[in-house]
Amino acid sequence: MGLKNWFKESFPVDTVALITLTSEPIPNHLKRWWWGLGGTPLFMFIIQILTGLMLIFYYVPDPDKAYQSVEYITYTSKFGWLIRSIHRWASNIMIAALLLHMLRVFFTRTYRRPRELNWMFGVTLLLLTLFFGFTGYSLVYEQMSYWAMKVGTGIAGATPFIGPWLADFIRGGSEIGQNTLTRFFLFHIALLPFITLLFVGLHLYLIRTLGVSELKFPGDEKAKKKTYPLFPDHVYTEIIVVTLILILLVSLSLLFPAGLGEPADPSVTPLHIKPEWYFFPVFRWLKITNLNVGVLGPIIFIFLLYAWPFIDRLFEKKFPGKEITFWIGIAGFLTIMVFLVWEIFGH
Amino acid sequence: MATSLTTKRTIIGIASIVLLAVLVIALWKETQRQMPNFKPDPIMDAGTKHCISCHSEKGVGKVIAEQWKESKHAEVGVGCLECHKAEEGDVDAFDHEGDLIATIVTPKDCGRCHMDEVEQFTSSHHADAGMIMGSLDNVLAEVVEGHTAFNNGANPAAASGCWQCHGSKVALLMDSEGNPVKDDKGILKFDPKTWPNTGIGRVNLDGSKGSCAACHNRHHFSVAQVRQPENCGKCHMGPDHPQIEIYNESKHGINYHAHREKMNLDEKPWIVGEDYIAAPTCATCHMSATPDMPITHDVGDRISWTLRPAVSQKIDASTLAKYKASGEAVPEDFLTWEDRRSNMQNVCKQCHTKAYLENFYVQYDNEVNLYNEKYGIPATDIMKAMKANGMLTSMNFDEKIEWTYFLLWHHEGRRARMGAAMMGPDYTQWHGNFEVAERMYTEFIPELKEMIVEAKVHRHASEAREVEAMLTTLLNSEMHQWYIGKMDPEEVKKRKEESAKFRERYSTD
Repeated sequence: MGLKNWFKESFPVDTVALITLTSEPIPNHLKRWWWGLGGTPLFMFIIQILTGLMLIFYYVPDPDKAYQSVEYITYTSKFGWLIRSIHRWASNIMIAALLLHMLRVFFTRTYRRPRELNWMFGVTLLLLTLFFGFTGYSLVYEQMSYWAMKVGTGIAGATPFIGPWLADFIRGGSEIGQNTLTRFFLFHIALLPFITLLFVGLHLYLIRTLGVSELKFPGDEKAKKKTYPLFPDHVYTEIIVVTLILILLVSLSLLFPAGLGEPADPSVTPLHIKPEWYFFPVFRWLKITNLNVGVLGPIIFIFLLYAWPFIDRLFEKKFPGKEITFWIGIAGFLTIMVFLVWEIFGH
Repeated sequence: MATSLTTKRTIIGIASIVLLAVLVIALWKETQRQMPNFKPDPIMDAGTKHCISCHSEKGVGKVIAEQWKESKHAEVGVGCLECHKAEEGDVDAFDHEGDLIATIVTPKDCGRCHMDEVEQFTSSHHADAGMIMGSLDNVLAEVVEGHTAFNNGANPAAASGCWQCHGSKVALLMDSEGNPVKDDKGILKFDPKTWPNTGIGRVNLDGSKGSCAACHNRHHFSVAQVRQPENCGKCHMGPDHPQIEIYNESKHGINYHAHREKMNLDEKPWIVGEDYIAAPTCATCHMSATPDMPITHDVGDRISWTLRPAVSQKIDASTLAKYKASGEAVPEDFLTWEDRRSNMQNVCKQCHTKAYLENFYVQYDNEVNLYNEKYGIPATDIMKAMKANGMLTSMNFDEKIEWTYFLLWHHEGRRARMGAAMMGPDYTQWHGNFEVAERMYTEFIPELKEMIVEAKVHRHASEAREVEAMLTTLLNSEMHQWYIGKMDPEEVKKRKEESAKFRERYSTD
């Protein structure tokens, strides 16, 4: 028995199923370049896993050593600056791509039946990614990290009913310290990746089983076929997107490498605390409301996001053809943008 | 828009080449980074860019801007305004190109980031170095050497001398109506009698004490510069406190100069025994970290004797006396002289055995006690008695014996003690003990005898007798009786025997 046969016997592959899997017909509208936003966060997630694994080689989740270890990664270890910068930029691009992907899904209303559950999985993935970002920049343990943890866990503490318990659970006690850092580290490198992988799997499974929603664009009627093959046509597109993103990531890391602020000091409150840009709208909202209303706002917003496919159906039934949900979406989007810009330029 | 497969393949090819190019740039950057003496590009925000561009173009402070670019501050984005920005209401604040700034950066400013360092420094003796104003040393500079009314109080002997190390009390330049003076660009001017000054105990306008720039030279803020002994030698040198000369004479200094290139002075955190083994510097013993002791910016944390005054005391003695007098409880974290000595021994033990350093401290204590008991205490007691009974005027330095006494403790006495503390044998012996003895026996005692005779003649017999009795007791004491021919016969015999052995050993007559 030759090596080839031995391998075939030891590792049987259903070639028919493989061909079917890679020959999935793709709707024509996906030929448009800007339709790759769903795949981008997935690719970013893979990048994050790879760079994250490399960062763990040197990172020490100890309040006395965390900052020093990040300093070592950034300024001393070989290619540490590049790996950390790519990790940081990829997190930003991942969140930006996710938000754009959700906007596309929202305004093309592809969350409608039978894809309501997949939209909800998507919302969950967005929340998980935001939590990734929060725990990630907390691990640096610079001043902004510490005070972001302080503010973040304080906000969690104001959640109705479960607030104090939730804050204590996240912090691992009543104060930020070793327990908090250990937990954030565990969330960031184990718990969140595991749950995210689970939801990514579910999201992809539903895309494959329910199929991609077909959209019609002017000119599509002329095409003889409604679909085109996954391989090589769509795979080429993905390769191009992935390569361009890699160029972007390395270029951004070269031009704007991840820096380091002052080390965390619980006794000195910085003059201005600013979270990462993706929390700007919530941060501004919290600034203009009291803590209880401030916390309630995002909770209601998240609930509405989850329930949106059903709310949309309700509006459609009551006011057919009026596109009310579209205008609500525009109003919501503009409000978030105003809060974002306000926080960028405001004090 | 649909794209053909051929076009896609071409795009993939071009994108792959571009990706390869950026990866090569990243590789090149990493290679550069690994080069010795590599300095990353400075991180400048808009404010710093504005300062640098203007100062570079106009050539005002161009060099310090360039120095800053090479600093660690530039590497981590601590720019001009991070240190020079002022708050509304600061007495030295002025508007400059749209920003409220102050010229002098004080420990309060540095403490915005370096909290621990500033806290430790502020509680140190270094921060109190400005307290010299009004002391004996300062009378010398202001009255004896100089003149307080010279050139409208310019006081050059103090301003260019003492205060450059000890620190001045910074003041703004005021006009005749008492308003701060500004130049044609709106920059606040300082009183030249008090600034430029980077004395370590400078009294600043914001109420803070000291100047971090006394040791951390602007604008490189190089750790290597601050760790080298020459840095401390700016002030710790000369006839009255020749620490740098003693260090250079010691084995510590010899090793430093021989192996300077192996000191890794740029290393962080620079732990003795881990980051360097060649030699200790001043910083090593008095400030820097050991494997089990953190760095301190309180230079008194490892000192057990105070070698500065006429009579040495254990370093905690005066503070403990204050607590005792006020009835206030001694704080739990108060460092006793034993704690401080133990801290210093923590450094010593990185190179020396326990037995070695225990014996060293016996030798050191013995030298300090010898100076105290043989010279410092009796001379000081006699001077105090003469001040009290009127044989000396209340004015210092108007009588010869006051100069003699000052040189005995302030110069030679310190040299003997400091030489022993830092293992500079020549400073302990020829620049120290020998000169103390010479001063005592050939000047202080003869001058004292003359004063006693003169006082008797000028009808101050009782005062003269009081001091004469003190001198007689002193000269008849065990340590001084040789001087009046009353050496213990046993000791005379022993000396003769030793002398005979010496002649026999070297076959000399």
